[in-house]
Amino acid sequence: MAELIIWSGWQGGIGVGLVVVAMFWLTGKALGASSAYGEACGVLGQTFYRSGSFAGPKWRLFFAAGIVGGGLIAAWTSTGTWALSWDMGTLYSSVLPASPTLRALVLTSGGVMIGFGARAAGGCQSGHAITGMALLNPPSILAGGLFFVGGIVAVQSLFAWVG
Amino acid sequence: MSKTSTTSVTTVAFFPLGLLFGFVLSRAGATTYDYYAGLFLFSDLQLLWVIAAGAATGAVGIALLKKVQAKTLLSGEAIEFAGKPYKRDLIPGALLLGMGWGLAGACPGTLLAMLGEGKGNGLFTLFGVMLGTWLYGVMRANTQNSSQGVVAPD
Repeated sequence: MAELIIWSGWQGGIGVGLVVVAMFWLTGKALGASSAYGEACGVLGQTFYRSGSFAGPKWRLFFAAGIVGGGLIAAWTSTGTWALSWDMGTLYSSVLPASPTLRALVLTSGGVMIGFGARAAGGCQSGHAITGMALLNPPSILAGGLFFVGGIVAVQSLFAWVG
Repeated sequence: MSKTSTTSVTTVAFFPLGLLFGFVLSRAGATTYDYYAGLFLFSDLQLLWVIAAGAATGAVGIALLKKVQAKTLLSGEAIEFAGKPYKRDLIPGALLLGMGWGLAGACPGTLLAMLGEGKGNGLFTLFGVMLGTWLYGVMRANTQNSSQGVVAPD
């Protein structure tokens, strides 16, 4: 596993913010990530995700593939070599089940909540919390705050219950 | 240039933008599990600064683009800075997404970069996100069939 290079929070945030601006300037689209999963479901046969904003070119899938590639480049340009890793860091490893099957079940459940919740909320941390707050959009500011409430409740409960 | 080729160039342009986004998410620490737990335990606020500085930088850049009435570089059209509208399921949806965020230590964007870095556990989360997205589509499609109104996905 590559030892990732990590910038300070504000430097990383400026980098993320610049990509939001670049996206608007180049393409006119608001940066978001979760709708790419809807587009993928549409391609795989879930016709709900083929109408409305999902009709037309599959640009979200190109963006999503780019994000995977960006992670790959980030690992390549860090110290050490790229390798598949099953490590989840000190904190999650201390509370999540050690059994690979149970851990996979927890992560899949978390994923279901992420996927269902993002579509119900109409966006995720990228589209609501970062792009939406940059637009000073009230529904997005509300959503961003509620993401934190949900995260705090889940992780505090996990550590209180297990840790 | 024909309309079709313009569209395809524009579509492909999202790939390098994604590369940039994935790269900075990784450098920002947004693909590192410990920062997620640290954020919600209030023991390490790295990701809070990322979100705050990201939104602030975005706000400044958007204000500048609005001031010069910038056109999109790829299509030359005026940029619409429309925010997402409020919707009925926003509050429960955002809370559910937040809980999944904390439980899985990933969000929809960072999950993709984590997979690129080789974080194998992200595959389970990916399966879950696809399943959850699919289920929402099934639920909404059923709601549409049982009512008169046609609701577009968002």
